[in-house]
Amino acid sequence: MARRLRIWVDYDRCVGSGICVLTAPGVFRLNEDRQSSVVDPAGEVEEKVLEAAQGCPQTAIFVEDADTGQRLFPPPELA
Amino acid sequence: MLVQDDLLAPEVLADPYAYFGRIREEDPVHWNDRWGGWLVTRYEDVVAVLRDHDRFSADRMASLVLELTPQDRDRLSLLINYFSKWLVFTDPPYHTRVRMLINKAFTPTSVERLRPRVRQIVDELLSQVAARGHMEFIHDFSFHLPVIVISEYLGVPPEDREQVKEWSDETSRIFFIRADEPDRRERSQQGLQRLLEYFEPLIHDRRRHPRDDLITALVQAEERGDLLSHEELLATCTVLIFAGHETTTNLLANGLVAFMAHRQQWDLLRENPSLIRPAVEELLRYDGPVKATFRWAKQDSELGGKAIGAGDRLLAVLAAANRDPRKFQRPDELDIARTPNPHVAFGHGIHICLGAPLARLEAQEAFLALSQRFPHIRLADRPLEYHRTIVARALKELWVEW
Repeated sequence: MARRLRIWVDYDRCVGSGICVLTAPGVFRLNEDRQSSVVDPAGEVEEKVLEAAQGCPQTAIFVEDADTGQRLFPPPELA
Repeated sequence: MLVQDDLLAPEVLADPYAYFGRIREEDPVHWNDRWGGWLVTRYEDVVAVLRDHDRFSADRMASLVLELTPQDRDRLSLLINYFSKWLVFTDPPYHTRVRMLINKAFTPTSVERLRPRVRQIVDELLSQVAARGHMEFIHDFSFHLPVIVISEYLGVPPEDREQVKEWSDETSRIFFIRADEPDRRERSQQGLQRLLEYFEPLIHDRRRHPRDDLITALVQAEERGDLLSHEELLATCTVLIFAGHETTTNLLANGLVAFMAHRQQWDLLRENPSLIRPAVEELLRYDGPVKATFRWAKQDSELGGKAIGAGDRLLAVLAAANRDPRKFQRPDELDIARTPNPHVAFGHGIHICLGAPLARLEAQEAFLALSQRFPHIRLADRPLEYHRTIVARALKELWVEW
């Protein structure tokens, strides 16, 4: 059973590059302001979610283990 | 309402913030007859234009072609062909395909691995001038850092760097330097031709002898067939070398000038190096390397109460948006602790600067080292002169002492 993820977007950083939507379309969608929003945190495998978070040029996507609260991305030096 | 419509007038080049700031407050979406397009100056409108790539195209070549005679189109066919494959001048779906292909090489995570090497280059460059007590900051430092970093990352050998830089500068004439130069399109095409001739054998070499560099990665994408054509590969090499040059140089120079005008902020960074990340964001906002970015309207629309016609040209004035008091408190003050700082110095939307994470890293390392090694650095008593360009905020020289 895959672990549950908590995923959120920092709207002061998100510029709507759309890269997360292209990488993990099951999780991210651009909202009416063309910023990223999480539509389903379980919409892709964890690897895809992390790839999307890492692909963000603005480091605007944060991913945690929903049960333990452990930060999976970004690491402290990029946060 | 405004008398001055020359975007290259001395006072506009010297202080674009005063000029574009006045437009932002008096006529925020402003028709400039002399340039022949709209100046978009409020934060909200700039973001609206940049994020709406369906209505506002970045395809500058499509717009340029309409301005050219058939003879000029023939004469400049090489330039048009390759520039129309530069990511910065393209729309989806081409933009999406190529951006996704090279995005991984420029993510914050990927470029973070370059930090030790960037730190080393900064250290070496500063060591060369330390005993001298003065330098021309651009020639001695801020020009070299980004050139060395992007050349190494791409795989351009050290002995070729200077030559490649010259061709890259020539290529950029069409949009950066001396916007009023009559033969700039021809010179731009000649520079591009030299760059293409230079990259062709380098690409050929990487095909036979793969290395751990970006050219090899692009070659391997090309070899898969469906990802990148040969012309697209060449175009991408030239745009990466070009984009890695001038803008970071100007970010460093403008940033140092900003610090010298706000000495207490310099001292604050010196005493609190952990502020370096927000500090670089604030330098980008306060006096970034790009004043404005070009779009054209693909359809009729309304913006800030003005009717924008299909085919109209627009300049999204990043410099004005970044000082918009509707978005930023005390916008004309440098505050290196400012958070959040949603500036648009790298653009907004799908064209957000690919190299932004690398530029940030280079600027962070440069200002950390400068503030620690030359805490008493100051501007020499010389006038600051900027290049005659609408797009770039580019000093000609910057003399400093310590």
